Amino acid sequence: MTNRTDLDCAAVDELAAAYALSAVEPGEDRALSAHLASCSRPHDAVRAAVEGASLLPWSLVPVAPSGSLRDRLMATVAATPQEHRPPPRVAVERTPDRARAWWRMSALPSAIAAVALAAAVGLGAWGVSLNAQLAERDEALRAVAAADAAYVAQGEIGSGWVIQSGDEAMFMADGLAELAAGQLYEFWLIDADGNAVAAGTLADTDGVTLVPLERPLDDAVTFAVTVETERVEQSQNAPVMVAAIGA
Amino acid sequence: MHEAARNVHHMNDVRDDRDADARLASRVRAGDTDALGELYDRHAAAAIATAMRVVGAREEAEDVVHDAFVTVWRKIDRFDAGRGAMRAWLMTIVRNRAIDRVRARRATIDVDDADERSLLRTGPNPTWEAALGRASAGDLRAALSDLPDEQRRAVELAYFEGYTYREVAEITKVPPGTANGRLRLALAKLRDSLGGTSAAPQLATERSFSEDATR
Repeated sequence: MTNRTDLDCAAVDELAAAYALSAVEPGEDRALSAHLASCSRPHDAVRAAVEGASLLPWSLVPVAPSGSLRDRLMATVAATPQEHRPPPRVAVERTPDRARAWWRMSALPSAIAAVALAAAVGLGAWGVSLNAQLAERDEALRAVAAADAAYVAQGEIGSGWVIQSGDEAMFMADGLAELAAGQLYEFWLIDADGNAVAAGTLADTDGVTLVPLERPLDDAVTFAVTVETERVEQSQNAPVMVAAIGA
Repeated sequence: MHEAARNVHHMNDVRDDRDADARLASRVRAGDTDALGELYDRHAAAAIATAMRVVGAREEAEDVVHDAFVTVWRKIDRFDAGRGAMRAWLMTIVRNRAIDRVRARRATIDVDDADERSLLRTGPNPTWEAALGRASAGDLRAALSDLPDEQRRAVELAYFEGYTYREVAEITKVPPGTANGRLRLALAKLRDSLGGTSAAPQLATERSFSEDATR
């Protein structure tokens, strides 16, 4: 049985090691966490097990990271809002120069530039075996550089930007919450009357996400993301991320 | 150096180390990206080692470590230096992200909740931290390799390969209570191997573990 809700102090202590190692069954995991959150006893066994488990990483021989990892991390962090600090609103003035080269990122808000840089650094790390992805991302980066406007998208799955470039729009994020197997994120554009149209899907949340939307922003006033098990044309699910377009 | 003096010296080192991490955490909380860079410089090599032990490939391990530090950045407000050490929290995040990659456990284990596990302690434990400060990586490797094979295998399956104790039981063909007991013994021995951990609960034998709690 794995849906345990009846763990007493003795049972919690007996499962302390497995719990410290994140090696209990899901139901037990929830029951243990709930018990420890509410129990007035100190549960030294759990504390000792957590301390014992914390030793395991230090039994390994340290491995120096590659030089590019730090740069990549710092670029990502510069573009990533913290949970307790809401991200600044980002707005880019429309510019007539659509032909800017993608590497001229200095005209972009620093946060967007940092994400683009993170993607670029990532490209270097991925190597030449991913030529198709390289071309796709390079195209996306060009679109980023030509952005006319960017709108902050926020929600329980993380944060990102909806970027408008002429009649084209794209969604960009880094570190979106991973999906469970069989799920995908679906993008929606919603007009002032509440009419929503599907604008694309995303299944791979690994690393920097740059997804061209299937439709221009046009009359959309809201961009939303839902979690679906397959692409749908109408969703009953609550948005997990939204952005106000034109705000 | 006299043993007592050496202990005081180590306790100061550990306290300094922990305090340095706590100061960096405060700066990270205030939005200082340079502070995150300093945390990275202090702990990246251990983080890469942990991730590589789980996922195998270096490139993927670096992705894990990248994501882990981004998580630290995003969720720093959840870290409380009074409840646990930064490096323990960080390594828990690294390990959980790595396991998440190699095993489809996202749907069954709440990774965010598991990240908080290293912060369960009710407060700093100076005796433990002093013992940890005295230990070298070599000591810890020796302690791990000194474990009986079945205990070492159990803890490696659970921690580095992401199996639950029931799965460990199936793999090693023992009852769940025995697998759970091996994990408990292994962690207790690892902890005791550092010495100076009088707060550790008494060791028990495998047979002393009730099957009731694991049935």
